[in-house]
Amino acid sequence: MSVGIIGAGQLASAWRREAALYPVGSQDNSQLSGNEPAHGVGAQEDGCEPDTQQQGDSEAQRCPVSGREIGADVQARHIVVSCAAGVTISSVEKKLMAFQPAPKVIRCMTNTPVVVREGATVYATGTHALVEDGQLLEQLMSSVGFCTEVEEDLIDAVTGLSGSGPAYAFMALDALADGGVKMGLPRRLAVQLGAQALLGAAKMLLDSEQHPCQLKDNVCSPGGATIHALHFLESGGFRSLLINAVEASCIRTRELQSMADQEKISPAALKKTLLDRVKLESPTVSTLTPSSPGKLLTRSLALGGKKD
Amino acid sequence: RGDKMAAAGPATQRVGFVGAGRMAGAIAQGLIRAGKVEAQHIVASAPTDRNLCHFQALGCQTTHSNQEVLQSCLLVIFATKPHILPAVLAEVAPVVTAEHILVSVAAGVSLSTLEELLPPNTRVLRVLPNLPCVVQEGAIVMARGRHVGSSETKLLQHLLEACGQCEEVPEAYVDIHTGLSGSGVAFVCAFSEALAEGAVKMGMPSSLAHRIAAQTLLGTAKMLLHEGQHPAQLRSDVCTPGGTTIYGLHALEQGGLRAATMSAVEAATCRARELSRK
Repeated sequence: MSVGIIGAGQLASAWRREAALYPVGSQDNSQLSGNEPAHGVGAQEDGCEPDTQQQGDSEAQRCPVSGREIGADVQARHIVVSCAAGVTISSVEKKLMAFQPAPKVIRCMTNTPVVVREGATVYATGTHALVEDGQLLEQLMSSVGFCTEVEEDLIDAVTGLSGSGPAYAFMALDALADGGVKMGLPRRLAVQLGAQALLGAAKMLLDSEQHPCQLKDNVCSPGGATIHALHFLESGGFRSLLINAVEASCIRTRELQSMADQEKISPAALKKTLLDRVKLESPTVSTLTPSSPGKLLTRSLALGGKKD
Repeated sequence: RGDKMAAAGPATQRVGFVGAGRMAGAIAQGLIRAGKVEAQHIVASAPTDRNLCHFQALGCQTTHSNQEVLQSCLLVIFATKPHILPAVLAEVAPVVTAEHILVSVAAGVSLSTLEELLPPNTRVLRVLPNLPCVVQEGAIVMARGRHVGSSETKLLQHLLEACGQCEEVPEAYVDIHTGLSGSGVAFVCAFSEALAEGAVKMGMPSSLAHRIAAQTLLGTAKMLLHEGQHPAQLRSDVCTPGGTTIYGLHALEQGGLRAATMSAVEAATCRARELSRK
């Protein structure tokens, strides 16, 4: 099975790098060597303007690749996975139905930490996508982090939380580091320690059955430093700021989506990022077999893409 | 008609439940514990055995047939999730009689909707419980439908007092009850957490602080309910001149506790109204 990526933005590069290094889709990853990918990955540059900055940046332009351009090449066996923020399954299906009666579409929302294999990804399957198509995507995206299926109407909320979430964390980390510097730490060390603290806390929470507030209590010794600090956070309305942030991002995503659906605004003017579209060729899932590196080379050359 | 039901004392009062989730279980447990209804006179239905086992453990009868509940009980409480209630009512409508008293605990489903889904002249009430029904300290309101008389309402109130406080209200108050007392449980939890954290900040271990905070809420609530005085009066009584409490209260007022609390009730009520319009 091979995977094609249209687009050369952050997600595409993350994917290319990680999928080449870490075999995906096998029953037992430990049996495969790091050098031999189970699936060929090709990335083509197709005249799409790559995203130069992170998601949501005002410079990002919508990739001109559209259903019209790839539509003619899409066959019944293809699964088209759209990672474009704010683009609904029905709008993709509508465009593709000009070429295929039953296009298989899956919509996916991920986030930038896929680049370190700690992404948070959700997907929603379209009308003609089969259960195994979704499972295939889930297997692939699970190689770069957490992945689960959701109903499409939750994707805006996911954007607000884990799509934008890394930005909230970066802001928090910058400020935490400032706090460290204020109290005498060298900057680099402050950044490192702050990041590690958030990383560790996140890991503890994910590994634990406990409520985050219970874990928080466990850190707060009576009359101690931490509880004093938390009081400041509460005074500043820390909790409500975070709730507001998630809400604002979710609402904005919905606005952008409805503007796109109405197609009143030109794509270039829309301040959203089309990360890429991942085009998957799929035979049935049961025929997943490791392909040789030779085949990988052949495929990517055939696409006219660059070798990694 | 109401007399037949009212005459049924604890020995013979039968109550049916369609839906056997947490709230149904809480109400059933309250009825049994308070001696209002015997376990064997309670029948509950659910699609699977997952929840019915709790009813069986109480000694109640169970079934997978919703119609069977209506055929064996005149007083039936519908405790399904709101979105499946219409289908369930349609399913049981053929066996609904003029003798039945049907009670819905579903949030957001109005009396007029219930009456539309059931045969004409069916006696319907809405009951809005809150979570502490599970410890028999619920704050429950009831609203009656067009064909319900006072004796049936009083009967139901008498039964539901097994689960806490129960009062009849106009249907217009139902969403406000949700905002105040349904969601209020969470508001109180947040307040309790904050009380405890204040104590932790001052040097008390967390679990002790949480227990004391909760007991403080319980005790104060009990005083307010039993002594019947205005909370402002009790508050003032606790504040000795220049003492600890008035200092603490000042900090609370500076933090805008009252406005925040009012906003919380308002936001939850508005959302309840929005959801019931959908």
